Amino acid sequence: MNNALIIGQYVPGESLVHRLDPRTKITVIFFFVFIVFLANSVVSYSVLVIFALLSMFITRIPIRFILKGLTPVWFLIVFTFILHLIVTNKGTVLMDLFGFSIYSGALIQGFAISIRFFLLILVTSLLTLTTTPIEITDAIEDMLHPLKKLRFPVHELALMMSISLRFIPTLMQETDKISKAQASRGVDFRTGPLKERIRAVVPLLVPLFVSAFKRAEELAMAMEARGYQGGEGRTKLRELKLRKRDVMILLLFIAVVAVLLVTRNY
Amino acid sequence: MDKTISAAPSRISIGELTKISLVAALYFAVTASFAVVGFGAVQLRFSEMFNYLALYNRRYVIAVTLGVVFANFLSPTWFLDVPIGGLATFVVLLICRAVTRHIKNEIAKIAVTAVIFAVSMFTVATQLTILFDLPFFYTWLTVGAGELLSMTIGGMVVYFLGKKIDLSK
Repeated sequence: MNNALIIGQYVPGESLVHRLDPRTKITVIFFFVFIVFLANSVVSYSVLVIFALLSMFITRIPIRFILKGLTPVWFLIVFTFILHLIVTNKGTVLMDLFGFSIYSGALIQGFAISIRFFLLILVTSLLTLTTTPIEITDAIEDMLHPLKKLRFPVHELALMMSISLRFIPTLMQETDKISKAQASRGVDFRTGPLKERIRAVVPLLVPLFVSAFKRAEELAMAMEARGYQGGEGRTKLRELKLRKRDVMILLLFIAVVAVLLVTRNY
Repeated sequence: MDKTISAAPSRISIGELTKISLVAALYFAVTASFAVVGFGAVQLRFSEMFNYLALYNRRYVIAVTLGVVFANFLSPTWFLDVPIGGLATFVVLLICRAVTRHIKNEIAKIAVTAVIFAVSMFTVATQLTILFDLPFFYTWLTVGAGELLSMTIGGMVVYFLGKKIDLSK
């Protein structure tokens, strides 16, 4: 099994952002997604850009990793910008281009939406870049704890997430192995009539499902044999603890929100 | 094998819990390995195919939802895709199960599910409208049409898969 295979974009590190409690990071990012939509002026956007760039700098993650995360969305950002240039007709006419009038309002709106989207991608990617999936699972379990009173199976959900994360690398490797094995037997779902090609996918999926079910049964048996009992009273290998640095970051974020609210319309 | 977790009263047995986890992991593995397979002009997104599993057993509603949540974390716009995609998948799968409950014909079940999923693409259209100010109805129509085609191919794959494996157990 390839344990080195990392799911998502996590980049190991020892920066302040890496060491923050995952609940702090999720809380800050959750509210950041909303406050981005409050920015409506050059100054308020600047406040958010400074916050985003500062956060990025603190993570000490090489810029190439961050830019790699942005690669799939450059096209969308440019497309939206051009679309706004064509569709929006607010403000004064700046120039005529290929029969289209470019308005000042269109330029401003195109920039604003592009920057908003860029900020969202940049800041939210900092969570997945600095937090392991298992840390995110632990944080989600803890944050959903109040739902236990409504009989929501929080512990079971967290356990399912943890088991899935443990088996994703194993099953990815198995998927690769089976697809290569089937290809060597001449299975080809890229040529031939449509119905035949669809049928050709099935021999790939059957062993995958059979293997997944077999592993599930073996795991359940192993858990029962060891007397697994879920829910209350279980101790944890990884305890989450809010530290001084988490409080500092939360206070800093509140300050950013306050500055943003004050600088709106400037 | 399927004994319930004894200490805390749980509605999920250990056997069910591990099957849900493994199918969620399989969803991620297959989706990440073969994101898109072209069938001429039509494409099969393997992830769409998994949606039909919910018709065979209730456990797959949770399994597929978890798989969607994991897979959506890979998206640059995960902050929208994870909560909206996860919740929408969960709700739409429950709707599909409820609507197709009394339909006996397997192909009819698959066809109804494909249409429900195509209609449910208003969630993606809403996301695109919020993020990029795109026209809602035009976006819904184009995304929904793509989804319907992909779901049709996926439905055929699951139909043949169901002939080989008992997915209801």
